[in-house]
Amino acid sequence: MDYYFFIDLIQSLVDGLLFGTTYALIGIGFTLIFGVMRKLNLAYGAAALAGTYVGLAASLTMSLPPIVVFAISALGSGVIGYIVYLGCFRFTPASHPMASLLASVGMLLFIDELVIHLSHGMPYPYPSALRNAELTFGELWIRGDLLFVFGICVLAMGVLYWLLYRTPLGLATRAVSQQPRAAQLCGIPTERVNALTFVIAGILGGTAGAMTAAAVGVLSPVIAMGLTTKGLIVVVIGGLGSIPGAIIGGLMVGAAENVFQLLRGVTERDIYVMLLLFIFLTLRPGGLFGSTAGRD
Amino acid sequence: MDFYLGLLQILGVHTLLGLSAYVVLLTGQVSMAQAGFYAVGAYVAAMCTAMFGMHILPAVIVAALVSGALAMCVGFPALRVRGLMLVVATLAFGEMVRLFFFNLRWQVDLGGRLVGPNGAEGFRSIRFFPENGWDTGDVALFIWGIVAVVMAALWWVDNTRAGAVLRAVGHDEVAAQSIGLNLTSVKVTVMAVGGAIAGLGGGLYAHTVTHIEHGVFGVLLATFAIAYPILGGLGSVFGTLLAVIFVQGFLVEGLRFIGDWRSLLFGALIVVAMNLRPTGLLGERMPPLRKFFKRNDALKAQSTEAE
Repeated sequence: MDYYFFIDLIQSLVDGLLFGTTYALIGIGFTLIFGVMRKLNLAYGAAALAGTYVGLAASLTMSLPPIVVFAISALGSGVIGYIVYLGCFRFTPASHPMASLLASVGMLLFIDELVIHLSHGMPYPYPSALRNAELTFGELWIRGDLLFVFGICVLAMGVLYWLLYRTPLGLATRAVSQQPRAAQLCGIPTERVNALTFVIAGILGGTAGAMTAAAVGVLSPVIAMGLTTKGLIVVVIGGLGSIPGAIIGGLMVGAAENVFQLLRGVTERDIYVMLLLFIFLTLRPGGLFGSTAGRD
Repeated sequence: MDFYLGLLQILGVHTLLGLSAYVVLLTGQVSMAQAGFYAVGAYVAAMCTAMFGMHILPAVIVAALVSGALAMCVGFPALRVRGLMLVVATLAFGEMVRLFFFNLRWQVDLGGRLVGPNGAEGFRSIRFFPENGWDTGDVALFIWGIVAVVMAALWWVDNTRAGAVLRAVGHDEVAAQSIGLNLTSVKVTVMAVGGAIAGLGGGLYAHTVTHIEHGVFGVLLATFAIAYPILGGLGSVFGTLLAVIFVQGFLVEGLRFIGDWRSLLFGALIVVAMNLRPTGLLGERMPPLRKFFKRNDALKAQSTEAE
């Protein structure tokens, strides 16, 4: 192994870790929703993408600074998350988990087609911050925009942590995710908590979508499928229902993806990421931080 | 007329895809890998006829066996996890199969012409039907013959003890285990059977379209596969058939005049249907035909009494 290959490897590892924070955010979103509802929301990636498009539409109509565009993307995704909750989870009976799963699949197709229809399937340039800045450490250099993505994602995780562990709303959310019926008996409005969780998860997803688009530089409907599958892989690796697991899983997936891209090329890298998932499924089905192995 | 025969072919192939997911869904597992098995079947059957000059019938049987064996291998690690984790595992497997075919290049020289899968370009000229002089009607008849056999077999299984075993596992795993059922063997078996049916469907699909490429076998197809049985209801094989006719016949072909908007309508309709009828169109149980007759008899009896 020669010196330059080693530098390349470290470089792609660092880039992957920085970009992996977006996967971690998506994973946290899936985990949050699963935590309170015990249901999988497959429309989540599409909702995140649609929110990002809301931000893009705002930036196309008015010329806004990038940071405002990102904020609008996140809020838009929060609103769409609430719509997904109403459409797929609020009125489907809890005794039929397949009904809400399929409804969220329907919502995924609907949102995806709506976005493709309205954007004519064309990729659009998406603003990013600190594009021209870069940090250099000897042979390694770090792109400013990736560093910005990393910073925003870490900030979002910090805010979420504060929300979950330092506010009454967070207490209520954790209570519902531990034992919904007991929480209801203590006077916690379960349905409002569920709806709010969807909004919070939506905001996280919108942030992740905006950061993905900012790091890539263009926004296209193709991103939705990647966000969904990568987010789900992150959740399985980290353990369903665990937030620290989702963060570590996200960083791992981001790093693995970039390293395999260096070693095997862009068309094959996802195969290896999915092999990683299967290794986890066979050796540690509960994930890194899962409490019980493979429970529902 | 050719248009309707072509539509009939599509309906047949999609019915097989839906039935493959139906078998797995009976045991309460949601498998998103059916598109992957369908892709394996399509590529294997196409290789058998186009590259090795086999007849279509043994080719699709080989395809079904290969897909079934693969599904069994996937079943063991994937079924260690339950419910939602299985969705993720099978989704990832389906994508892995698609990416495998995206990277697969294996061509043989047949009379100065290269035949075989060629990476992103896909697998061209799978021309068994035109080369052997089958017209659209023959093909539709052949496909529906296979569909009828599969449906009859599943219908028969449903009414035997094996069907009861599958539903028992689907309703309550703990209860099923407590009466001595081996959950792993039941689940791996349905996985293999589902994989084989999907492979059969894929093999037929490859020959009806003559050109296959990796993009077709994505997550979208996998969602269609699970959407048919859930939308139609898990009571019997007819729910799946009804849903396929409704989706492919009415939504996709019948509403062609409204253009691009119909794909929007499809997603919205699934959402509405699941809110209004969470157990599917035909419900969880087969609507008992005998009851209709009985009610008629009862009505007749009442009316004669009134007279």
